[in-house]
Amino acid sequence: MKYQSQKIALNFYTAAVVLFLVQVLVGIIAALQFMWPDFFILNFNTIRTLHINALVVWLLMGMMGATYYVVPEESETELWSLPLAQFQFWATVLAVTLVVVGYIVMGIFPQANIEIFGTLLLNEGREYIEAPRWADILIVVSVLLFLFNCFMTIMKTKKFTAVQGVLLGGLTFLALMYLPGMFYTKSMVKDQYWWWWVVHLWVEGSWELIAAALLAFMLHKLLGTDVKVLAKWMYIEVGLVMFTGILGLGHHYYWIGTPSYWLWVGGIFSSLEPIPLLLMVWDAFRTTRETRGVVSNRIGLYLTVSHAIFNFVGAGLWGVIHTLPQVNKWTHGTQLTTAHGHLAFYGAYVLLIVAMIYVTVPSIRGAKEFNQSKGYQAFWWMTISMVFIVVTITGAGMVQTYLERLLGLDYVSVKANYNLWFWIFRAIFGVGFLVGVLILVVDVLTLGKKPAASGS
Amino acid sequence: MSNNAAKHLFIWGSVLCFVILIVLTVDTMGKLDSRAPEITAEVDAGKKVWHKYDCIGCHTILGNGSYFAPDMTKATVRKPKGYLKKFIMNPRAIRPDAAMPVLGLSEKEANDLMAFLDWMSKVDTNNWPPPPILAQAAAGKAASAGQVLFQQHDCAACHQIRGIGGVAGPDLTNAGSKQPDPEWHIAHLKDPAALAPDSAMPAFNELSDQELRDLAEYLVTLK
Repeated sequence: MKYQSQKIALNFYTAAVVLFLVQVLVGIIAALQFMWPDFFILNFNTIRTLHINALVVWLLMGMMGATYYVVPEESETELWSLPLAQFQFWATVLAVTLVVVGYIVMGIFPQANIEIFGTLLLNEGREYIEAPRWADILIVVSVLLFLFNCFMTIMKTKKFTAVQGVLLGGLTFLALMYLPGMFYTKSMVKDQYWWWWVVHLWVEGSWELIAAALLAFMLHKLLGTDVKVLAKWMYIEVGLVMFTGILGLGHHYYWIGTPSYWLWVGGIFSSLEPIPLLLMVWDAFRTTRETRGVVSNRIGLYLTVSHAIFNFVGAGLWGVIHTLPQVNKWTHGTQLTTAHGHLAFYGAYVLLIVAMIYVTVPSIRGAKEFNQSKGYQAFWWMTISMVFIVVTITGAGMVQTYLERLLGLDYVSVKANYNLWFWIFRAIFGVGFLVGVLILVVDVLTLGKKPAASGS
Repeated sequence: MSNNAAKHLFIWGSVLCFVILIVLTVDTMGKLDSRAPEITAEVDAGKKVWHKYDCIGCHTILGNGSYFAPDMTKATVRKPKGYLKKFIMNPRAIRPDAAMPVLGLSEKEANDLMAFLDWMSKVDTNNWPPPPILAQAAAGKAASAGQVLFQQHDCAACHQIRGIGGVAGPDLTNAGSKQPDPEWHIAHLKDPAALAPDSAMPAFNELSDQELRDLAEYLVTLK
């Protein structure tokens, strides 16, 4: 670490991994509720809201932490205002806590979700963006403060590097794309139309820009690769991400009441979406292969390359298998979407943030060498478990598509009878994933604090 | 390719794609109202009920949402509204093993939600969800007049026969063994609640006497 203010990243990373643990714990409850709906005091909808909101928030906090680390290093100066970053961190933690308390209250007393000033007080009832309007405003303020601080830092030295250009471009795009989710429409079709702007243009647009920028940053930091070469490939990758991803949005507009030309637009552009992700895999391998000399942070490199691979497999392959309208007509809204969602988020963003933590935390704590074995253990527990979770849900999705969509069996009987084994195995592998996350959290909290054991 | 060229390709390519998206969005917004019925005050109130109880936390609608409970896009096409309303207000009174909890909807909220779901069922979704292939194939093989009526009125939306059909109502695989008297079935079809007090099944008064008899005679063959 070159600058003291980069330490603020640790706060964000700590909050991120703790929320990750919460996400996985409630995920296991949700998995058990597939077999026993009354298993827990909170109903499935509340548990699932917590599961997906914890995911979004911890990944955002991870991205913010990573950016607070990257910007001073790229700009070669301290952050413009460390107190502002600290304030923004604690304000975010407070807002998230209030929102979570609101969800739990509503879960126990559904009638508490009253309408105030035309919006719902505790839960907007819209997937992923359940946070009520007052929380939306706090989130926007928090992100604006964060972006302002980063831009002012860059302005101090006026070093506009390619990595921070794409990184902050992605974050600004992310902030702007939150706005289409902040107004009410009477039509459910228009509601979902704008809702997809937020969800799709985040995960298949702005977040991929952030991923490409952080990938280039990590490859440079780990391997010392020439920035110019990394930057060129990064631009090509993000160019293709935007070219395929923006109009790839059309694959969400096949069946929601929108005109049929979206079948063509979505089908063509979203089929091309895996190409930039494959390019990122090639980029990671090429850069690693061309490197001479010893890589000291091997776990960091391991996670970086794994992120690139699973981004391609989860977001790319598991998405493209059901993206054509001819296929999607039968699979839309089945467990196949859940399988894709799990592997895509894990590969594209969970491993990205975990990699970024392992690349930057030892340097923040001033450790030249650190014990890397726990990092590998966490990675393998999480990855093997996630692969099996995805295999079981994919199986459930195939059975559901065949029995419900093709043969006409009832949703409830398919879920309760024919897919029961898949739910059982999913819960078991969920516990395996939890073991990996527990190892990860303990390791992140202690990483680089103790001297490395010999041979590690 | 130089770095600068790659950068400009990224920036201007993104801008171009976004402009195309905005043009398509404007065009789509102009066409949406003609692809769906008018939104009345009840439909809007029903949509707010949908949000208030976070229904999407378990169900999907238009295929999007959670995957824990059935899709609600064409709910009122697949199930009678009378049944849906009773079920939503107190699921386990209708089906003791239902996964859905009692959310405490008022009578008005339930009516508004029905209006919303009815609106939703009439949206032009480019023919999604498609009718199941086997159900269509089986429809061409109906043997008796009663079986044709069973299919025409989509009784399988709620009732199973030998594993095929819904689970909202009782399984009819052995309906003829349980109630061998066609007159019982005719009376039940005319007024289900008179014979089964907690029944959420709607009365099929629109059927003629002959149709009721055909259907009852088909049901008693199920053994």
